[in-house]
Amino acid sequence: MINSSTILIKQGRQRRFRKWLVINILLAALAVGLCMAMLLLGNTIYPISEVIQVLMGERIPGAYFAVNTIRLPRMIAGLFAGLAFGMGGHIFQTMLRNPLANPDVLGITTGSSAAALFSILILQTSTTVVSLASVIAGLVTVLLIYLLSSGSHFSIGRLILIGIGIQAALGAVISYLLMVGSQQDLPAALRWLSGSLNGAKMETLLPLICTVVIFAPVLIILGKHLDILELGEESALSLGLSTNKIRLILILSAVLMIAFATATTGPIAFVAFLSGPIAKRLVGTGFSNVLPAGLIGINLVLGADLIGQFAFEVRYPVGIITGLVGAPYLLYLLIRMNRKGYL
Amino acid sequence: MMKSTHKLQTEQIVAGYESKKILHGIDVVIPNNQINVIIGPNACGKSTLLKTMARLIKPIAGDVILDGKSIHKIPPKKLAKVLGVLPQSPIAPEGISVADLVGRGRFPHQSLLSGWSEKDYQAVEEAMDMMGITELANRHLDELSGGQRQRVWIAMALAQQTDILFLDEPTTFLDITYQVEILDLLTDLNRKYGTTIVMVLHDINLAARYADYIFALRKGELIAEGRPSEIITDELIKEIFELNCTVIEDPVSKSPMIIPRGRYHVCS
Repeated sequence: MINSSTILIKQGRQRRFRKWLVINILLAALAVGLCMAMLLLGNTIYPISEVIQVLMGERIPGAYFAVNTIRLPRMIAGLFAGLAFGMGGHIFQTMLRNPLANPDVLGITTGSSAAALFSILILQTSTTVVSLASVIAGLVTVLLIYLLSSGSHFSIGRLILIGIGIQAALGAVISYLLMVGSQQDLPAALRWLSGSLNGAKMETLLPLICTVVIFAPVLIILGKHLDILELGEESALSLGLSTNKIRLILILSAVLMIAFATATTGPIAFVAFLSGPIAKRLVGTGFSNVLPAGLIGINLVLGADLIGQFAFEVRYPVGIITGLVGAPYLLYLLIRMNRKGYL
Repeated sequence: MMKSTHKLQTEQIVAGYESKKILHGIDVVIPNNQINVIIGPNACGKSTLLKTMARLIKPIAGDVILDGKSIHKIPPKKLAKVLGVLPQSPIAPEGISVADLVGRGRFPHQSLLSGWSEKDYQAVEEAMDMMGITELANRHLDELSGGQRQRVWIAMALAQQTDILFLDEPTTFLDITYQVEILDLLTDLNRKYGTTIVMVLHDINLAARYADYIFALRKGELIAEGRPSEIITDELIKEIFELNCTVIEDPVSKSPMIIPRGRYHVCS
C-alpha cells in the first residue's frame, strides 16, 4: 500500500529540494550576469564581442588593458572574496546558532585590518607581508576570542561579547595607527578600513583563489554535518557526529577563507553577516545553505561594487555600499532578538 | 516482538568534575527490551548517569560497556545505530519543517554525500506514523505546541532506529495529558519493537506505573534497583527523597503509588 503519508512526506521534501535548486540556479545566473557587467562596464564600454576576444587572449589595443588588467582582476577579487565571506559567515552563524556570531561582529576582520595597518604604516613593508600579517592576525584573533571565552562552560553570549570587546580595542589601535602614520601611506592604509576591489592585481589574487578552491568544496561537502551540529552538541553526539573534529575542520576552513579574503580586498562590511540570513530567508532550512550563502555573498559584493562604481557622481569602494545596506539590518536584528528575549 | 540482544552495562562510573564528583562509582546492567526509569531527587546525578551511559559525557573513571566493548572505542556512527538519545532540551533550527527534522535522525545511516534513500523515507514515515504526527510533516516546528514538538523530537530519535533509546526527562514542561500520552507512545514503541528504553522521570508515580525496572539514585550512589512493585516502599522513598509517605496500590495500574505526608493536612 502506497499510503498518503508517504506521498505527503515525499512531496514536501521534493518541493523543498526543487525550491533549493531553483534558487541556487537563479543566484548563480545572477552572479554570472554581474560578472559580465563587471567586465563590460567602465569608463569605456566595449562591445561584448570585443570583451570575449580579449578574454580569449587577443590583444586589442585599449580593450585589452582595461578588461584584462583592470576589470578582470577586479571581478575575480569580488567573486572569490564574496564567496569566502558569504560561506564563512554562514558557517559561524550556523555553528554558533546566532546571526550575530559572524566575522564582522566577532572582530576577526578588524584583527586583520589592524595588523595590515600596522604593517603598512609602522613597518612599511611590502604588500606580501601586509597580506600575510593580516591572515595571521585574523587567525590569532579567533584563537584569542576562543581562549578568552572558553570558561568552564561554553557560552555563545560570552563569545560574542568578548568579540565585541576585542573589536573595540582593535578599533582604538587602528585610530592610533592612523594618527601616527605618515600622510603618504594613508591612501594604501584606507582600503583596509573599508573593503575595496580597487587595484586588484592577478598575481595578488592567487592566495585567495587557492584557499577558496580548496576549502569551499570542503564546506559544501560538510554542509550536512553542519546542519547536524546546529541541533546542539548533545543531539549531534547522539547522531554519531564527531563534533570536535568536524567543528575544527569547519572553523579552520571558514577562518582561512575569510582571512585570505580580508587580506585581498580588505574587510567588505557585513557580507559575512548578511549572506547566511538572506539564504535562510530565501531557501528555508531543509537543505544545506552553505552554497546559497556563498552565491549570495558573490552577488552582494559584485552588486555593491557596481553600484559604488556607477550609481553616484563619486566612486565609492564596495565596503561603503555593503555597510550602508548591512547596518540597518544589524539594528533590525538586534531589535528583533531583543523582543524575542535572546539578548 | 523483536528482541534486541545488546548488553549495556556500566563499570564503576565516576563522573562530574574533578573538584565536584557527581557520580561515585556506579555499576548497573541495563535489562534488555524493558522500560527502565532512573529516579531520584534533584542533583542526585540521574541525568549525569543517563548522559554518561549515552556517551554524551565522558566519565572521569570507569567505563560504559556495550556488548563487551567500551562505547568510547566504538566508531561514533556505528554506535549511533545502536544508542539513540533525546536530550532534555534539544535545539531546533529556526524554520525547519517537521519531516526534515525527523529526517536528521537518519544521519548515522547516510553516507557523506547521499540524499534520502527509500529506506530513509520509510524510517521517517514509520517514526512519524508511530508518533501520530504525519499530518504535520510539512509544517514548521515553530508553529507546534509543546506536546506536538516533543513527539517530533521522539520521532527524530525513532528514525535513527536504535535498539536502545535514552530520554532525559521527556515529560518535563508538559501538561499531565501530554505526559501520559508520551509515556503511552514510548510503551507502544517498547511493545512493538522491543526497544530498550532508559529514561529519567521526575514523577515517581508515573515512573512506578510505566517502568518495568527502576534505578533509584541518591547523592551519586545507586540505592536500589528492581521492579517497581518490589522496591517502591515508604522506607525507600524516605531514604532517597527524605520524604514521609504512604505507599498504596495505584487503583488503575495496581503498581505502587506514593502519597506524600507533609506537615499539614494529615488526618490523625
